[in-house]
Amino acid sequence: MEIRPILSALLRNKTGPVLVALQVALSLAILANAMHIVNERRAAMARPSGLADEHATFYIQARTLNSDTAEQQLATRNREVAVLRAVPGVASAAMVTQMPLSRSGSSTSLASDRRQTRQNISGSTYISGDSLIQTFGLKLVEGRDFLKHEQVDVNEVANNEPPGQVIVTKALADKLWPDASAVGKPLFFGSGEGARESRVVGVVERLQAAHVNLEERSEYSVLVPARLYGRPGALYAVRAETGQRDRVMKEAEEALRKSSASPIIMRLKTVDQDRLDLYRTDAALVWMLVTVSMLLLLITCSGIVGMASLWVTQRRKQIGVRRALGARKIDILRYFILENVMITSAGVFGGVALGVGLNHLLVAKLEMARLPAGYLLGGTIVFWALGILAAYGPAWRAASISPATATRSA
Amino acid sequence: MFSYYFKLGVRSLRRNPALTALMVLTLAIGVAASVSTFTIVHMMSADPIPEKSERLFVPLVDNGSPDDWVPSDGPNDYQLSYIDAANLLKSGQGVRRAAMFGVPASIEPPRKDIPAFSATGLAPSRDFFAMFNVPFRHGQPWTEADDIRGADVVVLGRETAERLYGDASPVGQTLMVMGSPFTIVGVVDGWAPLPRYYKLVGGNPLGTEEEFFIPFSSAIRHESPHAGSMSCSGQRDPGFASLLASECTWIQFWFETGSRAERADLQSWLGNYVDDQRKLGRLKRKAPNQLYDVMEWMEELKVVGNDTRLSAWLAFGFLMLCLVNTIGLLLAKFSVRASEIGVRRALGASRAEIFRQFLVETGVVGLVGGVLGLVLTFGALALIGMQGAGIAKIARLDWQMLGLAFVMSISAALLAGLLPTWRACQVTPAIQLKSQ
Repeated sequence: MEIRPILSALLRNKTGPVLVALQVALSLAILANAMHIVNERRAAMARPSGLADEHATFYIQARTLNSDTAEQQLATRNREVAVLRAVPGVASAAMVTQMPLSRSGSSTSLASDRRQTRQNISGSTYISGDSLIQTFGLKLVEGRDFLKHEQVDVNEVANNEPPGQVIVTKALADKLWPDASAVGKPLFFGSGEGARESRVVGVVERLQAAHVNLEERSEYSVLVPARLYGRPGALYAVRAETGQRDRVMKEAEEALRKSSASPIIMRLKTVDQDRLDLYRTDAALVWMLVTVSMLLLLITCSGIVGMASLWVTQRRKQIGVRRALGARKIDILRYFILENVMITSAGVFGGVALGVGLNHLLVAKLEMARLPAGYLLGGTIVFWALGILAAYGPAWRAASISPATATRSA
Repeated sequence: MFSYYFKLGVRSLRRNPALTALMVLTLAIGVAASVSTFTIVHMMSADPIPEKSERLFVPLVDNGSPDDWVPSDGPNDYQLSYIDAANLLKSGQGVRRAAMFGVPASIEPPRKDIPAFSATGLAPSRDFFAMFNVPFRHGQPWTEADDIRGADVVVLGRETAERLYGDASPVGQTLMVMGSPFTIVGVVDGWAPLPRYYKLVGGNPLGTEEEFFIPFSSAIRHESPHAGSMSCSGQRDPGFASLLASECTWIQFWFETGSRAERADLQSWLGNYVDDQRKLGRLKRKAPNQLYDVMEWMEELKVVGNDTRLSAWLAFGFLMLCLVNTIGLLLAKFSVRASEIGVRRALGASRAEIFRQFLVETGVVGLVGGVLGLVLTFGALALIGMQGAGIAKIARLDWQMLGLAFVMSISAALLAGLLPTWRACQVTPAIQLKSQ
């Protein structure tokens, strides 16, 4: 092979090759990291919430303006849930304290042991007197749903008794009891002496928290059977029949307004919208990284084509001489492509090193995740292919130079 | 000579249109990407209140549980309990003190055509308005006496006021807030600093204007629920009174001192306060008591998020790539002009003269790239602004960034031009002339 002559030719005129290799290295380093972040975010955005039919689920925050007593309020809420259930197209409705992905809700410190304080886990708390397994359409993987008598009315201003029973998500169960079934185990709310004990009766496959981030704890949720009252405002989660959400939303709002004697403030929102709002910045970042990556490839490509064309122009005479001395077209083509592969390879090796370095920086300074080697490997292949493709045009032009015209002026 | 070279540079743009267009575009894209992302970082991290950012302090008193706590865990929470907030309010330290928490409230408009709605406001103590230089459109803040009494007075945000009362001054009128009649004492004149540095814990730092303000003491008296985060460790009894007596943290607090130098006094006073509280059996963690000024606070709470920084870093890396690319393209462009350089040199032009000519020419490329880059930057910022109302206000070019964009593209072009230009100077006239 002609590697040695190509190499010595390259070494005689280093500037151009170095520039191309540098471009490849920079592109590869940025591209590998960018793609990793893009995939990570996209995976995070695609995580299921646990709701059976997210598109059909919405919620209503309602607040009636009157000066009712706490007990009257409870009656109003029960009536309002009944009104919602009566709306045609409503598959299920429940009063609940928070919605998944909504970025508004509360969490409680949980432990599997009263003495455990340091490793406490924060679990997003869904309190509802209705069956969330039904309304959210959660998948029960172990144990049972709450029984009617367990779903008690609790005045949250006056009462602070612990819930007797809870249902936890699989992720939370695995975290608290890594090698045993969670059902029947005591779960402690809070820590130390004051911790309140309750018992796990069921495990659901998945229910994301109200505050969702990129971490594992986004699926640490606990369901508590209680109908809370005593504070103004209530939240109703409604699952409509598939495809009927928008109509049901409109009719549910009207029905609630009609049912209330005093003015009522309402805010309706779909889970779809919450998901959109929650991941807006991630979507923007993904969009930005993908755009930059595309431009990156385009510019690197143009750089390779530009430099290769330049070398072809500069070496017209040599090519002519080589052709006149018996080199075939394929030899010339191979020469230029091989030359480019060598330059690209140098760039790729530099790029892998640079990519790892950049990732270290991102991990240390910006709390990003470590880069799997696959991305660097993928980037390497992409840039090799890109190098050959980009060099092919100029190399073909070089090969097409007729020996007669090339040698004439010399 | 400069203007002549400039003209030559402009002419040469047309000589190699494809190559030149590529160069200009590469520069423009690189500049647009880095300037637009850098604008976001710049706007988010800019000092929101330069005249007194070094005199405003957030105190942090760590009331977390001491069990198994190690200093590297960091503070329990960035907010204060009611006990500490009330004590600091009474302390008389600094020239102004403000405690605050977000309040959700129902508002029943006097006009029958607007239905009742829920709004989110702020319940600060009176000093808040003077402390943060809040401008008033009508009326004024409530009085010291209102603060002490917990009076039912309200200051409206401009948008809320215009929605309910139009342009007329509503001062003196009564508005139903949280089901109680509140007297309107003032209207704030569209005050919505970005980022919302005065209340960074909980809520969007790129939030919109507060819809209303009621006195801190009044919100407490009405046992108002609070909008924002609350962190409670351990158990507390039900009811509002027990919340006030608990170690739950949910209140944000600011001190204003007369001068920057008084920070040390405030710090040592805070140390004494915490010691006194420890004697009462509170604050069992031996955590250091912190004071943060505005900029330190914004840094601590990561107002400029990691994603924003990441975008800016990668965009900068992208600009580097564009630079390397431009160097290559310029090399190509200049190399075909070796014979022209040979003639000029033979006719007596010095190397310095050649250097100047080609540098001016790259400068022209930079200028065109810069102009195009600015256009692209506006486009990119408009795209970024589509994410939401808050970020749209941030995604704007100020004069500083406009200048930076320009300087950046020209200096990038010049930097990229250095090597090719130097190479152009090395042309030996004899060889060039001989080969013609």
